[in-house]
Amino acid sequence: MLKRVGNLGLTVVTVALLSAFAYFAYHGHRITELAGQTTVFPTLGILPYYALRSFLRMLAAYFLSLIFSLAYGYKAATDARAEKILLPILDVLQSVPILGFFPAAIYFFVSLFRGSILGIELASIFLIFTSQAWNMTFGFYESITTIPDELKEVADAYRVTGWRRFVKLYLPAGIPKLVYNSILSWSGGWYFLIAAEIITIGPVEYSLPGLGSYLIRTAEEGELGLTLAGLATLVAIITVMNTFIWHPLSTWAENFKYEFETGGGRQVPKGWGYRLWYEAPVFRELRKLMVSGGSALGRALVSLGSKLPGRSYFPWFSRIISWGFLLLLAYSLLRGLIALVILFLPPWHPEIFTIPQAIFYSFLRLLAAYILSLLWTLPVAIWMGHNEKAYNVLMPVFEVLASVPATALFPILVFILVGFAGGMELAAVLLVLTGMQWYLLFNIVAGVKSIPKDMKEAAMVFGLKGFKYLHRVVFPALIPSLVTGSITAWGGGWNALIVSEYVVYAGQTYMAFGIGSLLDKAIYSTGNFQVIWSSLMAMVVVIVTLNRFFWRKLYEWAAAKFSFEAEE
Amino acid sequence: MALLEVEHVYKTYKDATRSLTVLNDISFTINKGEFVCLVGPSGSGKSTLLRMIAGLDRPTQGEIRYRGKPINGVTDKIAVVFQSFGLFPWLTVMENVALGLEAKGVPRPEREKIASKYIDKVGLDGFEEAYPRELSRGMKQRVGIARALAMDPELLCMDEPFSALDAFTAQNLREEVLDLWLDVTLPVKSVLMVTHGIEEAVFMADRIIVLSKRPARVLADVKIELPRPRNMRDQAFAAIVDKIYSLLF
Repeated sequence: MLKRVGNLGLTVVTVALLSAFAYFAYHGHRITELAGQTTVFPTLGILPYYALRSFLRMLAAYFLSLIFSLAYGYKAATDARAEKILLPILDVLQSVPILGFFPAAIYFFVSLFRGSILGIELASIFLIFTSQAWNMTFGFYESITTIPDELKEVADAYRVTGWRRFVKLYLPAGIPKLVYNSILSWSGGWYFLIAAEIITIGPVEYSLPGLGSYLIRTAEEGELGLTLAGLATLVAIITVMNTFIWHPLSTWAENFKYEFETGGGRQVPKGWGYRLWYEAPVFRELRKLMVSGGSALGRALVSLGSKLPGRSYFPWFSRIISWGFLLLLAYSLLRGLIALVILFLPPWHPEIFTIPQAIFYSFLRLLAAYILSLLWTLPVAIWMGHNEKAYNVLMPVFEVLASVPATALFPILVFILVGFAGGMELAAVLLVLTGMQWYLLFNIVAGVKSIPKDMKEAAMVFGLKGFKYLHRVVFPALIPSLVTGSITAWGGGWNALIVSEYVVYAGQTYMAFGIGSLLDKAIYSTGNFQVIWSSLMAMVVVIVTLNRFFWRKLYEWAAAKFSFEAEE
Repeated sequence: MALLEVEHVYKTYKDATRSLTVLNDISFTINKGEFVCLVGPSGSGKSTLLRMIAGLDRPTQGEIRYRGKPINGVTDKIAVVFQSFGLFPWLTVMENVALGLEAKGVPRPEREKIASKYIDKVGLDGFEEAYPRELSRGMKQRVGIARALAMDPELLCMDEPFSALDAFTAQNLREEVLDLWLDVTLPVKSVLMVTHGIEEAVFMADRIIVLSKRPARVLADVKIELPRPRNMRDQAFAAIVDKIYSLLF
């Protein structure tokens, strides 16, 4: 994922995106008045309603992400010229700390809807969307580009074109990665949902009715019992979705994978969640209804597609869209640049000069959280990878634990730690840790599990044991997945930073000095745009630089040196 | 008149710094009813040539004509069987075989009738609803052949169709393909098969076109006049195989 970006493209795109956002946010920031107010009631009875509202918000964002992924991924994978622009954009979008851009999104939507509640609702859906869409888009893009050449030739030779090609070739080819990434996106989405339901604009705080604002509000009021009830509801929803939707879907997605080994009656293992949809009374009918609805929709699209004069119509249509898009981008780039220049005219706010120091402090916090995560995940993962029993017992436990969005735990963590001296410092590190550790654990476990059996047997035959075995077999084998896990963990960490260094609890604000708290303070209390934008840009620059000059190099090195498969 | 004419065809791949000529002035014809094999060392551009004939690729220079008309993209009358089968894992045997018909706009009942006829022909009766992953390699290639036949082609192009199969399965399938080609009820008139197996070519073909190593030229156009069914352990058979080996090595 990190590989494809050209230097120039990256720079241009970064500038364009930042300026576009700057423009919209600058523009919107003038309208901060909101019509109407809602209160979040911290009572038990209203919990199901809030859960439903949050769920619907997630669902809306997910469908947006799905449509976006299909369209964007398809375009990027099938049009070489569009690919050159679309991929760098996606790469940047994926590596920026999205939470930091949330205020900009709020200002944009609030100004768009003239201060109505709908604007806030859409802003929160948009935030969740930004946490779900990019990995799904990359997944779909990669699935299309890795379709075996022969299948594409078959489609050519038998003239499967247009919509039919999409429905029969690209979409099915993308299903395994779409399902896998949907699962990731939903857990990412819950994480952001919690943070996206309470919105502060200058002096005004606005809460959307939902689980996230319920959790934060009850924690603020010190009602720990109600917070725990909310947390339990959240875990229940996530578990129900995993059992009844994601596990069966993952099993089903196996049908869409290519097989490379000799064929002959390969059976996909089917769990009870999967069988439920085929055998249980209500589920069976529901599934049939959805399947027939889906295929009817597919057929309708195919026949609609074949009625349109495909070859001539679509290039013309897409050309207009892409030119429109380009024009819009150029316009907002210009306006954004002007706005930025005006914004950064001296005098500069003194806090701007503390940015390097703040980034350094935050970096140290991330490093501490990373080392802590590594200290516990590495031994546990190696043990789980070698002990089938431990794996079978612990894996589901960790999966449930990891599915709890860390943002939901923040109030409780702060409640516990805030009494101690230096408690906020510790809390900040722990909060960042919750955003990093699972990526490491699951990646390393997968790495250890992927050590080929004959390598383990060879080690046994030659008497490699204990530390020598770890040194010669396990560590080299898990380095690629350790690097991948570290990259995602650091990405998650930067995002978590923004909510970790600045916590409001029981009416009081707790801060740990760093780039996250600098940003939050500027957003939530002082409203100084100079500070907001310079912190954001500094953060993006640091992250992109680290990605390009450290993580990518490390990844290439690891892939070249420690990969099991010979490269061709 | 020849069914297919390949005339002075060149194929050159260029990138920024180098150019690589794969096919160097290739000319030959295929007549109605002929079974022609293209043999040559690996990398000699046999498969590229087959793809150009099928309309999946274009020559850098020269022309390929089908029934006198230049080939410009894929046509209904030429169907392709692929080396690694090219089956869509998410479609059933029936859906895979009917894929080309569906794209052609044949209505469902009719295309399923045609498809099941060819599924029977290749001996996969009863596997209509199976998915490719449930089939052995030999069965998969039968699906590939049924899919090509369902298009009602006059020229069947096969790209190393037996090279992904084990020896026993391959020999069975060779004989069945010959039977299908000789079956007068089928529309297939001519077959063009790419292979690197010289014995296989001598066993199946009326004519063998021998390509040199890269950049490929036509080394020889050998008529095989052995009576069918052929026996691989025959003296005459061995003599022809030897003759072609000596051309190549």
